[in-house]
Parts: sequence; C-alpha cells; structure tokens
Amino acid sequence: MTTVPKRLGVKFSLKHTPQMQPDDILPIFQRWIQEHTVPGMLIDVIDYKHVPEGPGIVLVADEADYAYDLGEGQPGLHYVRKRDLPDSLPAALRLSFHHALLAAQALEAEAPGDLNFDFTTAKISFLDRMHYRNLPEAFAAIHAEITEIVGEIYGAEVEVTRVNDDPRRLFALRATIAAGQVDVDGISSRLRDSLQTA
Amino acid sequence: MTSWKEVLRDEIPAEMGNLIDIYEAQMELRKQGKLDDKVFAESRLRKGVYGQRYDNGQRHDGVRTRELTFPSADIVKGPDTLWDAPGMQRIKIPYGGLTARQLEVLSELADEYSGGILHITTRQDIQLHYVHIDDTPDLMRRLAAVGITTQEACGNSVRNITACSLAGVCHDEVFDVSPYADAMTQFLLGHDDVQDFGRKFKVAFSGCAGHACGLMKMHDLGLLAQTREIDGETVRGFTVFVGGGLGTVPHQAKVLADFVTEAQLLPLTQAVARVFARLGEKKNRNRARLKFLVAKLGIEEFRELVQEELKIVPPDERHTDYMEGLDDFVYRPAKAGMALNGAALPDGFGEWYRTNVYRQVQPGYSTITLHTPLGDFTAEQGFQLADIARRYVGDNIRLSVEQNFVLRWVADADLPAIYRDLQAIGLADAGAGAIVDITSCPGTDTCKLGIASSRGLTAELRTRLIEKINLLPDAVRDLKIKVSGCFNSCGQHHVADIGFFGNSRRSGNHKMPHFQVVLGGQWRQNAGSYGLAVGAVPAKCVPDVLEALTERYVAERAADETFQTWVKELGRKEIKAMLQPFTKLPSFEENPSYFSDWGDSRVYTIDDIGVGECAGEVVSLFSMEISRAESTHFEALLALDDGDYTTADHNAYKAMVLAARALVRTKFLDVGDDYNDIVHEFRSRFYDTELIYDRFAKGKFARYLFKRHDAAPARINEDYAHQIIDETQLFIENVHSAEQRINGVIVN
Repeated sequence: MTTVPKRLGVKFSLKHTPQMQPDDILPIFQRWIQEHTVPGMLIDVIDYKHVPEGPGIVLVADEADYAYDLGEGQPGLHYVRKRDLPDSLPAALRLSFHHALLAAQALEAEAPGDLNFDFTTAKISFLDRMHYRNLPEAFAAIHAEITEIVGEIYGAEVEVTRVNDDPRRLFALRATIAAGQVDVDGISSRLRDSLQTA
Repeated sequence: MTSWKEVLRDEIPAEMGNLIDIYEAQMELRKQGKLDDKVFAESRLRKGVYGQRYDNGQRHDGVRTRELTFPSADIVKGPDTLWDAPGMQRIKIPYGGLTARQLEVLSELADEYSGGILHITTRQDIQLHYVHIDDTPDLMRRLAAVGITTQEACGNSVRNITACSLAGVCHDEVFDVSPYADAMTQFLLGHDDVQDFGRKFKVAFSGCAGHACGLMKMHDLGLLAQTREIDGETVRGFTVFVGGGLGTVPHQAKVLADFVTEAQLLPLTQAVARVFARLGEKKNRNRARLKFLVAKLGIEEFRELVQEELKIVPPDERHTDYMEGLDDFVYRPAKAGMALNGAALPDGFGEWYRTNVYRQVQPGYSTITLHTPLGDFTAEQGFQLADIARRYVGDNIRLSVEQNFVLRWVADADLPAIYRDLQAIGLADAGAGAIVDITSCPGTDTCKLGIASSRGLTAELRTRLIEKINLLPDAVRDLKIKVSGCFNSCGQHHVADIGFFGNSRRSGNHKMPHFQVVLGGQWRQNAGSYGLAVGAVPAKCVPDVLEALTERYVAERAADETFQTWVKELGRKEIKAMLQPFTKLPSFEENPSYFSDWGDSRVYTIDDIGVGECAGEVVSLFSMEISRAESTHFEALLALDDGDYTTADHNAYKAMVLAARALVRTKFLDVGDDYNDIVHEFRSRFYDTELIYDRFAKGKFARYLFKRHDAAPARINEDYAHQIIDETQLFIENVHSAEQRINGVIVN
C-alpha cells in the first residue's frame, strides 16, 4: 500500500486577482473560529501577508491549517492536513480535498467582492521528504494512482503533472481536469458521503 | 518504516545524536507520567523547544474564552502546557553564521513542520513556530546532520552567542571576533559549569566600541576586541563586561577586566559562570539574572570572587587549544573582488545601495543586508537565497541582530546582478537599518506573555513609513524603532531612538491595547544608553504619535543634533505634554476600533496572557542530571525490546554511571566525564561513607555499578540484558533515595 505522507496539502487558486485585500480575510477567519465554520479544532489566525508570496493569512487548527495563501504569485485556499491522516492515500486525499473545498466555498461566500476559485485545478503537496522526495522516480511510482484517485474525486479524467523538478522542493503535483466544468457541490457531496461511509 | 534516525545515523555526530535520543526518551517518559513535568519542561527548553500562546488550552475568540480541547489533553509538556499545543523551536546559529546547505535544510524543515515560515531573532537564531513537539526529535536530527544544534537554545543556559555581523569585513574593528565567538560556543555548549544557572546567560562579542552591532553592553557577558603591546608584541584580547541586560529593569554592563588575553578568555568566562551558578539567585526568577548579582555584590566584590574562582578552575586543554585554529578561520569568497564597472544599473539600485550595501575593508568586496520584514522569510525564499549565495558569495551568509540576512564577500561588480536576483525573490527592499527596518518581538502573535501586538504594530508602521520613505529627511530616515509586546524588552525597545512596549488601559468596561513610548535610547556604542518611558498611548494612536515626534524633531533640531540629544533637551515634561492629546480614550461605543489590536479583528482582551517560559523552570542540577540517567535506562529498555542486547548493556551501564555522576555532582562539581573518576568519587564519597546505603539492602545496589564497571560481561544475552536493566533501575532508585536523604527536597 502506498505510504500516507506525514502531511498533505491541497490548494485551489483564484481565477483572477480579487480587489479584496488579504487584510479582509483576517476577520473572516476569526469569525470561523467563533462559529466553527470549518472542520477541526480551530486555534488561531496568523498574519504573514508581509512576506512576499508567503502563506498569507493562516487559520491554524490542531489537525490542519487553512491558509489564504499567496504562494507562487497565485492567491488561493491552501489546506494542509497535519495530523490524524486516514491510513490510506485515497482516504487522505479525499479528506483533504473535502476540507479544502469546504473552506474555499465558505470563503467565496463570505469574502467581499469577487473572490472566485478555479476548481478545475488542484495543487497537491506531500509535506514529507522522508517518504516523498521530489524526484522523477517518485512521480513515476505514484502518477497512476494519483490520477485515478483524483479522477474519482472529480468524477472526470484528470491530467497530473509535477509542479517543480528541483529535488530540494516539496514533492507537489498539479491535477487538472481534462475537459468540462466542475460540479463543486457534486464533488463535495460525494466526498462527504464517502467520508461518512468510511 | 524508515525514519530520519536511521537515514541520518552516519551523518550525525555521535554526541549530538545521543543527546537527541535522550530527549526523545524523556518525551516518552513524560507521556507515560514517569518524568516530572517541571524537569521535562526544563529539559525541553534546553533543547530549544518552547511553549507558545494558548498552550494552556485557553483562547479568547473575541466573545468568550474557549477551551482548546487537544487530543492528548491529559498530557502536559510542562506546568499548564498541553502536549499537543503548537510550540516554537529555537535553533541556535552561533554568531549568525550559516552555510547555503544549512539554509536549505532550515527551509526544508519550515516546509514540513512550521507552515513554510522561518523567523530571524534578535539573537541571530532561527525560530520555527507552530511546531508539534512530536516532530522535534526528527527536526533536531535533520539539523544535526548539517552541524546545527538546538542544545541550550532556551532555558537556564548559555544562549546563542552573538557577534557583529560585519566581523571580519569591518573598517573599524580591532580584529575579527568570529572565531572567538565560535570557540566560546564550542567550549560552553553542554559544559558542566553552565548547567546550574538560575536564569539564562547571554554572551556577545563586538569588534569595536563605536558601532552597535555587538550590543555587548546589554549582555550578561560582553567581550570587546582589544590589542595590547606586551613585550614588544601586539597581543589580542578583550575588555570584559558583565551584568548588562534589558528586561523589565535594564542594566548597563560593568567592566570586569580591562584586558584579558586570548589564552585567558575561556577560563575567565568559566570562572564567571561558576560564580553565577554558585551565588546567583535561584528562587526569585525576577532577580536571577547575572545583572542582579553584580548589582548586589558590586563590581569590585564580583571581580574578586571571579579572580578567586579563576585560581581553582580545573586545567583544561581546551582553554588554549582553540588558538591553534584561529589562523584556519578564513573566508572563502565565491569570486574575486572586482570594482563596480559602470554598467547600467537597475531601477531602485541607488537607494538600495545607499542603505543596504557596506563597502568591506577588503577592496572590491561589499557586504549587503537583506531587509527581511519582521524577520520573517518563506522556505521558498530560503531555497532561492541559498542558490543566490552559492552564485555570488558561497557560504558567507550571516544573520543580524536586527533580524536581517547579511551576505558578505559580494564582488562589487556583481552588485547590480545580485540586486536583480534578490528583487526576484522579494528580498531587495531598501532601508536596511533605517526607520522602516523595525525590530519586533513576537508579541501577542505567539508569546504567552505578550500584552499587545508588537508585530501587528510593526507591520502597520512599516507599511506607512515605506509609502513616504522618499519624503522623509535623512535625520528621520536613519532613526531606529524597536517594539516589544510587553515590558520584557525582547524587542529591545530600550536601545531604540523610538521604542514602544505593550501594555493595556481600561476605558469603561473594556480593555484597550496601549504602547508605552520610550525615547532616546542609543543603539550605537554597543547599546550605549537606555531610553526613558514618557507615557502610554492607545495602540491605534502610535502611528500618529510617531509622526508628531518625528515632525517636531525635524522642525526643532539644531544642525546635526541627534535624536537622543533633542529628546534630552526637550525634557520629559514637554514630551508628556506633546503626547497628551493622544491619551484621551474614547468609549467603546464612540470608537470600537480602538478596542482591537493591530492585525487582530477580535475585541481586545488580556485574558490570553499565560505563564512565560523565558525564565525556564527552577529545577535542581541533580534533577536534570538524574533525568538523563533515567532516559538512558529507557533507551536500554528499547534496545532490549529490539533484541539488541549489546546496546542494552551499554546503555544500562551508562545510565548507572550517569546516576552516580548526578549524585557526585551535588558534592563535587568538577568530577568530569571519565567513568573511572566518576565511579571512584562515588565510591569514596557515598559508598565508603555508607551515605548511599539502603536501610535494608545496605550497599547492594551500589555494588551493581561496581560489578559492571570492574568487568564487562563475558557473554551478553537476553537474560543478562534483562538483569542489568533491572539492576540499573534499582540503582537509580537508590540514588534518588540517597539524594533526598542527603540534600532534601529535589524540585522546588
């Protein structure tokens, strides 16, 4: 069975740069803590917007971090599962996708202005250099499995590529649906059902 | 499953690996409730593993205080400090010196363990925040594999030894202090004489008296490079300062010795440490720093005590061995020095060159400072900076006490190119060391003691100042601003032209975040004088207060009048009057924004303030040392479980010796590490005197140690390993009992 990484990240980028500023996210995340808007034991909000292309505004939870991430010059919602990952890679990916989608949808609903995510592409990061070095052979070993799992999540054919070929960087993949629109509510619903069944 | 411990086994120096194994065993013992929480807390702190805000399981969400129900809620990693709560890992970078490879590994760790962010501290350390304690042993192993330790980064120990980041390239230094800072780091790390302090001990080196960079006058031990003519030869040495420090009550360091030679440097430091360990306050944490001992005794009596101690410091080859390596401490520039050659310069280069570039004493080379906002950078920037370093300067990377990166040995001809490369990674902002380059402690973001948001205020001031930096007169542009989240001075507000520290005031039924304004401190002259508090203003007024102060300074100053002189002449009364309009507090209904802190949308509260770990735990030397024996015994048990009986025997024997040593050191601090010496002293002091004797078993348990010490086992098998591990357990219990009988209560 494929090793579950110690930490797993899923990021959805925005379709276009919004008029809204990262500062506008702070009160939203603080409110999420008060109202338990997203899953997890929510702890605190950190402001890293002063760091160029950094993690932006981060809502820290015990099990995961939700960030309005500014990395790679592509603002987006980055969910990083840090603890209590399910014991299979498909389940870990489903969980991470589900929570990332929930947070992105909640942010779209609450953020001022025109915040829209591009759900056709997801960046998947394996934050575990012990088991996942960013090497071509690691990609070759996992490519088919990831394509299948993410394809199931989307309910559509996906293309999976490496984000970066520098072996020092995190092993990260970009999964893009081959064609068509994304039914985000449908995906969320399927993921919720599958997690409940599990 | 493969582990970092296995993968890096051959890359980690044995002693570093051993200490990490012991720490990991202590973690396991703590989780099982077999190690006292205070003892574990101090052990953890001495590995640089620090608590963070909300780790007591409480957080005010702006409406009410919520309980944070962590999964291992019943396990603590120290008093009121929950196991699963995110914490901070401090990583010592002696004198701020980094290689490109080390920077890459630090970046990898930030990627995986701390959300991709690294933080440069005012002691030239790197800190990772929001780290789970379970990840810390692997994190330490990965650092150890590239020669970095977290040992004694926090707790009651010798903290990271700092030095001027221009050391070796400065026009005004007497000589390069870097190799001396390096030698002292090696000498003091884990030294027996620095294990029993009541509080932390900070050391700084400076190459000259006039600049700020070493800041040695605000240190427990400050060392200023000097030379003397002795017998017709120029001899290197140091003026030694002691008893400086900021904190709530700042003290200027006093001269302990006008001149000590290179050969006297380490023994004198050892003597100071021994006097501090013996006479320093241990119970009252607020008066346990060396500065209070020096103030209490007076510098003359303290000097006499150190001189007396010096006579009995045991001889040690390491006192002078390091001198042989001084000539080997050479810098290897990546490129030959070349003058800036008249090529077209990129936009913004001129201002960056003015504020961020220092022409080295070596012709054709410059040192550049990378203005690093709030001391934070991303793992991605770390990787790219490592590439830039390799391309232009090799391993000549340093961190500065102003929370910036410093790249040394840049060929002048490369300055435009390196500027472009730094621009591409967001590290080419002008203004290093200027008013926009504000120092800040973590404040309420992560510190348990924070009262107001020092980082939030710093970010706001920085944003506003950058917008108008080109309009500011030079006299204002070069001012220093430093911000602390409370009165404890971690942001060094006492030594800024304009300093702020967080406090709170009440307006109606609500608390309002405030900052006390501290004016006229001196950064230069190695933190030459401390500023004066002139009044508290609401946090939201601080930008306006800053503007009022600087505008009046520009309008009223005489030509070349410094800010310190202007403040002094203006007088406290007049300054107070100037601040008066800002001190009128609106009600919550009139202006609710005053009741939220910078960078935080919650209604302000001080309910989140916890108990700080800066002071470490008051734990006896015996408790610390016996816990190492217990952890080593635990390692023996693990080896037994793995069927590795040779390692089980090795660790059991070692655990017995460590336990004996812990007891011996309560009477004879200088016993050293040699097993023969330890067993001999143990026998003569505790066995022959029957002090170790159990009421019923008499000297039976001690004889387990003697038996194993006198003869290695002829055959090691499972039965034997079981037996020696059991005997070790009994011996450790015996030592515990004896210590309680002899010395009384162990843990305060």
